[in-house]
Amino acid sequence: MARVAVKIPDLGNEVTEAQIDSWLKSPGDMISQGEEIVAITTPKVTVELEAPASGRIVDILVEPDEIVAVGTILAIIET
Amino acid sequence: MPKSINVDPGRTRLPDHLELPDIPVHRYDTPFAEELESHGRRSLVELLRHMMILRSFESGLAALKSTGKFGHLEYIYKGPAHLSIGQEAAAVGAALALTPNDHIFGSHRSHGEFLAKGLRAIAVMDEADLTAIMEEHDDGKLRDAVTARLDCRGVRDKAERFLLLGFLAEIFMRSNGFNGGMGGSMHAFFLPFGAYPNNAIVGASAGIATGAALQMKVERRKTIAVAMLGDGATGCGPVWEAMNFAAMAQFDQLWDEKGGLPVLFFFTNNFYAMGGQTSGETMAWDRLSQIGAGLRRDACHAETVDGTNPLAVADAVARKRSLLMAQRGPALLDVECYRYSGHSTTDVNAYRTKEEIALWRLVDPIQQMQARLTRAGVLSTEQATEMQAGIEKLMHGVFHAAADPDVCPRVDPASIGQKMFSDLKSPYTGTLPRPLREPESVPRLRQTAKKTRRGRTASGEPLSPMRAMTLRDGLFESVLHHVLNDRRVILYGEECREWGGAFGVYRGLSDLLPHDRLFNAPISEAAIVATAVGAAIEGGRPIIELMYADFIGRAGDEIFNQLAKWQAMSNGHLSLPVVLRTSVGSKYGAQHSQDWTGLAMHIPGLKVIYPATPYDAKGLLSAAIACDDPVLVFESQRLYDKTELFADSVPEGDYQLPIGVPDIKRAGEDVTVLTIGPSLYPALDAAETLSQQGISIEIIDARSLVPFAYDSVLESVAKTGRFLVVTEACERGSAAMTLTSNVAHLAFTQLKSPPRLLGSPNWIVPGADMEEAYFPQAADIVRMVSEMMANAGGHRRDSERLRLARCGL
Ligand SMILES: Cc1ncc(C[n+]2csc(CCOP(=O)(O)OP(=O)(O)O)c2C)c(N)n1
Ligand SMILES: [Mg+2]
Repeated sequence: MARVAVKIPDLGNEVTEAQIDSWLKSPGDMISQGEEIVAITTPKVTVELEAPASGRIVDILVEPDEIVAVGTILAIIET
Repeated sequence: MPKSINVDPGRTRLPDHLELPDIPVHRYDTPFAEELESHGRRSLVELLRHMMILRSFESGLAALKSTGKFGHLEYIYKGPAHLSIGQEAAAVGAALALTPNDHIFGSHRSHGEFLAKGLRAIAVMDEADLTAIMEEHDDGKLRDAVTARLDCRGVRDKAERFLLLGFLAEIFMRSNGFNGGMGGSMHAFFLPFGAYPNNAIVGASAGIATGAALQMKVERRKTIAVAMLGDGATGCGPVWEAMNFAAMAQFDQLWDEKGGLPVLFFFTNNFYAMGGQTSGETMAWDRLSQIGAGLRRDACHAETVDGTNPLAVADAVARKRSLLMAQRGPALLDVECYRYSGHSTTDVNAYRTKEEIALWRLVDPIQQMQARLTRAGVLSTEQATEMQAGIEKLMHGVFHAAADPDVCPRVDPASIGQKMFSDLKSPYTGTLPRPLREPESVPRLRQTAKKTRRGRTASGEPLSPMRAMTLRDGLFESVLHHVLNDRRVILYGEECREWGGAFGVYRGLSDLLPHDRLFNAPISEAAIVATAVGAAIEGGRPIIELMYADFIGRAGDEIFNQLAKWQAMSNGHLSLPVVLRTSVGSKYGAQHSQDWTGLAMHIPGLKVIYPATPYDAKGLLSAAIACDDPVLVFESQRLYDKTELFADSVPEGDYQLPIGVPDIKRAGEDVTVLTIGPSLYPALDAAETLSQQGISIEIIDARSLVPFAYDSVLESVAKTGRFLVVTEACERGSAAMTLTSNVAHLAFTQLKSPPRLLGSPNWIVPGADMEEAYFPQAADIVRMVSEMMANAGGHRRDSERLRLARCGL
């Protein structure tokens, strides 16, 4: 078992922050790699982030509407 | 939602073949007796009479053009005369199948179409309506001229004379012509009869008629638009763009109100485009109708019909009209006919034989129709001759009246300036449109609501674009206000819907607006602009987006000849409340980074704004949307994420800022620095550096380019005595050049040093890494300001500038 972090990815050199739009999954949910887990917004676009690994979501660390920096860990998946 | 249409390789990769529908060619075979039965004898005699009127009218013009005489009248008519003698059946046949509320948009050769549409409208409209139309048009001045000079028996008779005189006066460019003499032969129109603008640009009516049809569809009117085009127009890219636009699959697949646009592409195919032969020489098709198959599976119901027989044309147009009413548009007709007259009066027929012309004279539309009526015992030869003689007499009366400046006064050229802009607003009074869901529930709005409306922290630090209102948000809020409060406003452009516009200005709006208010356009800049012109002519208020200002070239005619000119060419009968938003790019090199405000400013008839702050962007865009004149909005991609650094905050409610008033962004004493668009920001940095050297600059943000009130700039120059304009556009022919030259002229005596311009070099915009060397930077401004401060006394000869000019740089 490993713990995999879901992070705000690098969204281009001008984007430094993103806002959490909504969580598409809840803590405890099973998720498979590639499934959409959270919608985030930058000044330009809204994107849905995909789960980097399959497993169970054990922790969601950022609330909707929070603004966080690129690289911030949003959730943890236990594989 | 495109997401609902899955592109499944399992299906797209299956072996298959395409079956294209049968395209009928000359299949009309209704016996004349049947036509008599269905239309009635009177109506068919009228058909003949209308064709005779068209020919008589144009023969008069031909005589004037070639000999300077028509009967006893001697008159030099200097303008164009693209005559359609020989093509009368196409025009009159089409008009027979249309209602007064169907709108035709013609070409340079549309005298016949205009008259035919008008005559038909006069034949079917209520007399009371005709009387009111004549009364209301130009305060009854044209009607008074008609009554004063021409015998009229009854209202319809008067209306026909009104039509002929108003049209000829327009051709002669007299003040009581239908467009007040601002249009002339190739542009005349008269809205109440459904004769919409004719166009001197080959093919331009295709996109405009398509836009008219778009507006008709959006309003769910039960009418159609007809683009009257020549065969030569099939060689024009914008015509193909328009036909594709009209036939877009989304109308059937995604819109609530199904069906392609109610537009008929009516090609009057006379086999020539000036001196080039279309079929056989310049075009790929051999029968024009086959192009329908290139557009859509149903081949746009294309057909080739006999344009020498008005009944064959009327039959085809009536059938196509029914299809359009059944929401199966668009449709396409290839109407084969022939012009005996030259392309224009300078044509010597070098490209065709006398034998060919003689062959077509054997199938003359008027003689054929007359023969049919005589054979059927409806009209004797004597009656026909008498009818013809009556028309000739009438025509002489009309020509004499039109040529007489006491009846049809000449235009005072000084009045033309007043026709460029209406400066009016037409507030919406209809019922409020219903958004698809509560705006407050849309994530974009929830996010914006959380942002601070101020751009700086309490200590003055600029806030991040995630936390504070940005220029993009300002634009969004303005658009949002107008789409929610004005049903006439529609939004489209490439990737405008789910993508939210190329740079996300509309992000979130697809949650609120159905497809008929926000849709993705094809990559057809010409059609995007042309349809906006057409929709606006029909009462819509489109806001269109072109991804990059560099793509303006793809819509050159549509922006510079159509959008810019129709208000004035129509003598104010048309208003074009179109907002064209376009972004000025960077980082993508030469074809994606050029500031073309200079082009927009150069062409009379366009208002031009280039806001640089969120507050200005919101207020100016709102003013642009509210105003009835066409406005080009330039938006710098580098500024979309800018937060407000000047105004206290960006107000939440809608507000308008006056277009044409520059704004002082930083007060100073030594040099007036006028910035255009994003140059505001390097100027601010320069101001900081310079202030450390004891030099204070006053920064004025142009905000608008057309119109432009110089007052605050001149006041500033009166104080500073030095003037510099900074722009990211390359200098030559730029908007900044015009500003500099006017300030030099207006403030000459107050200037302590020559006015200067700092722009980009006259090169291509280089790649991202080289941009700093290309666009003026703060350091460049500092250098130039210091130079201006240093040589207060005189000005040395700028030999480097001379050298560059000599090299074309
Ligand atoms: C965009 C554009 N290119 C060229 C012209 C010059 N011109 C005027 S009419 C014409 C020929 C048009 O042929 P067609 O469309 O078949 O119409 P027709 O003259 O036969 O009625 C040309 C080349 C123009 N007015 N507009
Ligand atoms: Mg032609």
